[in-house]
Amino acid sequence: MIERRGARVLALWLLFLAIAALAIGRTRLDTSLSAFLPKSPDAEQRILIEQLASGIAARSLLIGIEGGSAAQRAAASRALAARLIESGLFEQVQNGASDGFEAAGRWLFEHRYLLSPSVAPERYTIAGLRDAIDETLSLLGTPAGGAIKPSLASDPTGETLAIAEALIPAGAPRNEDGVWVSRSHPRALLLASTRAAGGDLDAQATAIARVRSEFQALAAPELRVVLSGPAVFSVQSRAQIQAEIRRLALAGGVLISLLLWFAFASLPALLVALLPVLTGIAAGVVAVSFSFGSVHGITLGFGSTLIGESVDYAIYYLIQARGGGAAHWLRHSWPTVRLGLLTSVCGFAALLFSGFPGLAQLGLFSFAGLVAAALATRYLLPVLTPHGASGAGVRQQLARVATGAMGVMPKLRYAVLALGALCVGWLVWQGAAVWRGDLASLSPVPEAAIKLDAELRADLSVGDASTFVVVQQGDLEATLRSAETVSARLDPLVEQGVLGGYDTPARLLPSRATQERRIASLPGARELAERVEQATAGGPLRAERLGPFVEAVEAARKQAPLDAASIATSPLASIVDALLLRRTDGSAAALIALQSAAPGALARVRDALRDVPNVRVIDVRHELQRLYAHYLREALLQALLGACAVVVLLAFRLRSLPRLMSVCLPLALAVLLTLGGLAAAGAPLGILHLVGLLLVVALGSNYVLFFDQLHRAGRTDHDTLASLLLANVTTVVSFGLLAVSAIPSLSSIGRTVAPGALLALLLAAAFAAPRKPATSA
Amino acid sequence: MIRSRTDRALLVALALAAASGAARAFELGELMRLLGANRGGSATYDEQRYVQGLDAPLHSSGTLSYTAPDRFTRHMEQPRAETVSVAGNTLTLTKNGKTRNVALDSVPEMGAIVAAMRGTLSGDAGALERWFRPQVEGSAERWSLVLVPSEERIAARVATILIGGRHGEVRRVEVRLADGDRSVMEIEPLAAAKRASVAR
Repeated sequence: MIERRGARVLALWLLFLAIAALAIGRTRLDTSLSAFLPKSPDAEQRILIEQLASGIAARSLLIGIEGGSAAQRAAASRALAARLIESGLFEQVQNGASDGFEAAGRWLFEHRYLLSPSVAPERYTIAGLRDAIDETLSLLGTPAGGAIKPSLASDPTGETLAIAEALIPAGAPRNEDGVWVSRSHPRALLLASTRAAGGDLDAQATAIARVRSEFQALAAPELRVVLSGPAVFSVQSRAQIQAEIRRLALAGGVLISLLLWFAFASLPALLVALLPVLTGIAAGVVAVSFSFGSVHGITLGFGSTLIGESVDYAIYYLIQARGGGAAHWLRHSWPTVRLGLLTSVCGFAALLFSGFPGLAQLGLFSFAGLVAAALATRYLLPVLTPHGASGAGVRQQLARVATGAMGVMPKLRYAVLALGALCVGWLVWQGAAVWRGDLASLSPVPEAAIKLDAELRADLSVGDASTFVVVQQGDLEATLRSAETVSARLDPLVEQGVLGGYDTPARLLPSRATQERRIASLPGARELAERVEQATAGGPLRAERLGPFVEAVEAARKQAPLDAASIATSPLASIVDALLLRRTDGSAAALIALQSAAPGALARVRDALRDVPNVRVIDVRHELQRLYAHYLREALLQALLGACAVVVLLAFRLRSLPRLMSVCLPLALAVLLTLGGLAAAGAPLGILHLVGLLLVVALGSNYVLFFDQLHRAGRTDHDTLASLLLANVTTVVSFGLLAVSAIPSLSSIGRTVAPGALLALLLAAAFAAPRKPATSA
Repeated sequence: MIRSRTDRALLVALALAAASGAARAFELGELMRLLGANRGGSATYDEQRYVQGLDAPLHSSGTLSYTAPDRFTRHMEQPRAETVSVAGNTLTLTKNGKTRNVALDSVPEMGAIVAAMRGTLSGDAGALERWFRPQVEGSAERWSLVLVPSEERIAARVATILIGGRHGEVRRVEVRLADGDRSVMEIEPLAAAKRASVAR
């Protein structure tokens, strides 16, 4: 009967593994920051996420060419720009060379009476025409005059110039040898925007590789190319996270295997010990993948840490079942392991309710992984090795070390309590300042890359598009009208220098109402000819030269207004696309990107737009920090609730206040000392440190419960002590590996759990009720 | 006391050098020193632009002011108010109640014209030589500085800039464009007393 039951367990387990393998094969690895954004965003957050994923800022590549001479860099800049445009992967490649703008310039010229902000009835009166023509003429005879002279006869009022002035940003890169160069470094600059969305990391990786390969093809060995931009960061992070996970899984697996081999001196025991680990990770990936659609790289990296936790169950079984066999272990030790498991699960279950998908993923992964590992230990291991690990290994030595520690640790009780009190004092004194980890601390982007990005942005005068005004209305026309209202409110702020400027889609696609108003302000051909005659009388420009002007105005009066379709085929389509989001329900959102806002400018902008409906002012960086702070607070609260649940659960099971105290005190002290140590070391604590502390409680609860079990049994069981020490060593080793990871989120967890787990075991020993030394089991 | 042939030769050489120095032409370095002594001031100007295709020259007038080493303002009063001021790398244009800033190094053509004006006023030969091949004619009493752009890109727009003056004062600026158009600006420094009061 046992045989048959064992076969059923094995079959079920194999079936689970097969399903899991299939599911894992289809799981998508996600490394975007969006997992650390809310899953049910409000309107503001939705735009934020859309922008982070696909906005123009997310598609920008900042390219620098360094080395060689200025002339070599300029030549390389021109050649690279031409090759990149040729590749078809980029919507725009700018390098400061004026060629390539003819098409856009011609389009603006052809639509000047629809687009020029200065077209108004008073400008086309006799006096208005005289002023406008005078102003245009004032540019003649200067180096700038060369550009307007050819179109003087057809655009004497300078409408094209008025459009250009509104479109050209105030900040522009330095121009040398006809290309953009850095003001601070010997470096030529290019700015490219990919056709692919920023969130499409595979396409972004292709575009980045193309820039490098086209640059290689220039065969200029003395030059080198540097790249930056959000897509560069994302692609690099993904590659880094993938490589790191592979490295950690390999190193962790090898180290743990070696340790187990050393401890058991038996290959079968080693293999069996790894089964709960494998099962746990498989269950974690499957659970997260089914619930979230994809698994975040951070979650998977965290998953590798479950090796440290779930291998403990196997160690407990393999060592403790040696004497009495599976049946004995199930009777005496399994209840303790089960209580430890329930305690751990309580801690992680709190995270499940986080509104932060990244955190909920971690919670679910740990929950599913731990339960699966424990179940594998409970049901699978007795079938495979009914009598635990057979080999002797270093168990004796482990037991001797553990017994020795048992003798020393209790003497340190008061010192530890004093240290704990010190930590409480320090943490209370520091208050909330300890929890100052921010979203950036989750990013694996190295400092040098961030510095390069800042340099290139300063050189190119492109902000990080971190502040914008968003206008949302039910249809495109209403959205554009609102955008025009916003422009009218922002102009005075630009004038006062509060804002450097702003980009709005309404400059290239004005609302229909505005276009019709402009056309309506143009007089008919005969009327205009008469006014031109009078306006130019006695002036330096004779009316008969302005025949093309009268014809152009007459043609404009019959010109169809611009709409979304005509913009889509224009050379400026990509600029409008980036700033105008059209949704399938017909509604639209216009993004008005604010440039170089002075400190305090946002308050002024909000103030100016207070009474404009359906308008929001968004500061991406602030918004992200606010979100993170919100989730940190939420996670702290959840962790506290989890801790309360753990205490209630333990109280319910132990049914004795002294026992509860002896179990909870070492755990609380381990958490406090870890927290105090991290804070004293100056680490900015964040959500992942908190997750690490939950793990410390999860691991530590097993230790304290086993000590409690020993206390109840009334004798020192050397096998149990040996298993605890081995479990602890594997944990400290695997989290120690994590602690030195280059990925901040993983190292945060490692740096919390490795010392925390060690402390938990030592303190569990320190506060275990004194036992008279017993003879070996 | 002359002790050897070598010493005699040296003496002759020195004498010759002194003689040629007395007769040599007025040089760029000397002009720059004269101009560099000027710490600032203001003037009125009158400008005529001769543009092909127009029936009459375009006329404008206003005031100029300069504060060493790099602030320069042209305030046009006629035919309409318009102010162009340069400080450091920033050019600020104010007209019709609107202000616009441009980074000079982002538009090299503009940078070159500004360098010609500012380099001359401050006596900064380096700034002039960055963009032009400067040549000086005349004497300290009446000099003229000829600036020919050295970069092809600038030469495509500007053929020559001719600056004329007396001692440390700039009195005339003529810009000849590559397409044949040209502008001539006559400058009348404001009286020293008035200048002093402006400075105060």
